[in-house]
Amino acid sequence: MTDQQLLWLLQLSDSNFPSGAFSHSFGFETYMYHEQIRDAKTFGDALVVYIQTQLTYTDGLACRIAYEQLEADRMEGLKRLNETLFALSLAKETREGTRMMGERLWKLCRDIYGVDELDEIVQTTRSIHPTIVFAAVGRKIEASKRTTVLTYLFTAVQTMVQNAVRGIPLGQTDGQKLLVIVQPYLIHAASIIETLDEEELGAAAVGLEIAQMQHERLPVRLFMS
Amino acid sequence: MSWTGRLQCTAAFKNGRTVILDSYGEGALKLMRPVYLDPAHPTLYVVHVGGGYVDGDFYQMEMTLQPDARLMVTTQSAAKIYKTPSTPVRQYTRFSLGERSVLECFPDPTIAYEHARFYQETMVYITPSSTFVYGEIITPGWSESGELFRYDWIRSKLKVYQDEALVLFDHLYLDSRQHLTSMLQLGGYTHVGSLVALSPFITKEVLEQFNKFMEEMPQEVRCGFSAAAVPGFSVRILAYETSAIEAIFQRVQQFIRQQCGEEALVCWRKY
Repeated sequence: MTDQQLLWLLQLSDSNFPSGAFSHSFGFETYMYHEQIRDAKTFGDALVVYIQTQLTYTDGLACRIAYEQLEADRMEGLKRLNETLFALSLAKETREGTRMMGERLWKLCRDIYGVDELDEIVQTTRSIHPTIVFAAVGRKIEASKRTTVLTYLFTAVQTMVQNAVRGIPLGQTDGQKLLVIVQPYLIHAASIIETLDEEELGAAAVGLEIAQMQHERLPVRLFMS
Repeated sequence: MSWTGRLQCTAAFKNGRTVILDSYGEGALKLMRPVYLDPAHPTLYVVHVGGGYVDGDFYQMEMTLQPDARLMVTTQSAAKIYKTPSTPVRQYTRFSLGERSVLECFPDPTIAYEHARFYQETMVYITPSSTFVYGEIITPGWSESGELFRYDWIRSKLKVYQDEALVLFDHLYLDSRQHLTSMLQLGGYTHVGSLVALSPFITKEVLEQFNKFMEEMPQEVRCGFSAAAVPGFSVRILAYETSAIEAIFQRVQQFIRQQCGEEALVCWRKY
């Protein structure tokens, strides 16, 4: 990896990078509300399963497929992937939240990294999934596929940890410790993702999906999803 | 590829009622003579003539509803999936719904026993004016040791296309080797129910009604529901027993019928 690639990735994975992810708990707030997630232990356990399910089979695998489609310049395939990702989201809030994040990330990355391969998809479908934008940035800065996927996984987890620090709440040190604890899981997930069949895309974590649906009707909410 | 059972049927709307134009079942799948629980629209019972689904079984079903046809489909009994030492059981279903047609499909539960592997793919083609209501229940069978979740895995995909665009993709994957008891997965529950209802009748106002209608849920289930990307909604339920899910399905079905201006609820369950 070149110094410049490293700097690009550091910027992209920074928790202050304004993708809008800090407004979304993707269902975790429902567990916090019911106190099923209430401390570093309960959150950490859930986070590991989140990495092994949602992040592996949906976001992570999608990032890999998007990278491959971009590499082969298969825009039709990329369009289908984008459509599939939105169809997979059964909870409206999560679907809308993802749409907002995707749009924001696309505009930002278009500006700062000059990613323009996705213009056509955005113009015809008016929505782009954030993981596809991420893959496009990875391609643009010539990071490897694995590095791109792993950076994506780390970024997603880091946002969840930051949100948990605010939402549960947890101490900042506990949050950073968790980011260390999940490292082997992230590396393992990156390896699993390399071996998955495209047909496995989107295998849902059923309970999380219900939590995302229930979030719409929580009486008190810190997050938009 | 050779199949274990195959079934095909076409429904059409003629002179104010739905008729079955052609239907045939081959191998282990049969269709019973249509039953008219509703005087104008038939109910079809799919019958599996074997005792259950075994290693390597392969099933295909195809149902087509021509414009304005209205059909209810269910099964005669639960689909029991037994152990599949070499090849998973596979089932492919295809529903094509014409303009203004209505399909309500509620098969009996799928019960997966020890070391069962089951792959299911349901493809649905709808138009903006069609109504598609589908409810499915997946349960673990008891193993000799009395433990639950001795099945290996179940993968169920439901893809709904409207005018060639994929509008809903429900991909359920239950793998007993992968943290099924986590709260992100089944969280201690055993039975999974999924219901999808897509219809132009499910407007914003109807969805608001539905929110109120679903407010009171039994304590012993975990249930979520949300609006779909096209008019309609999906419901996901976790429970300890089939009857708890069926009770919710029946309520939802009743609600949809009321909203769609249909008359009394047809009770088609067999017990």
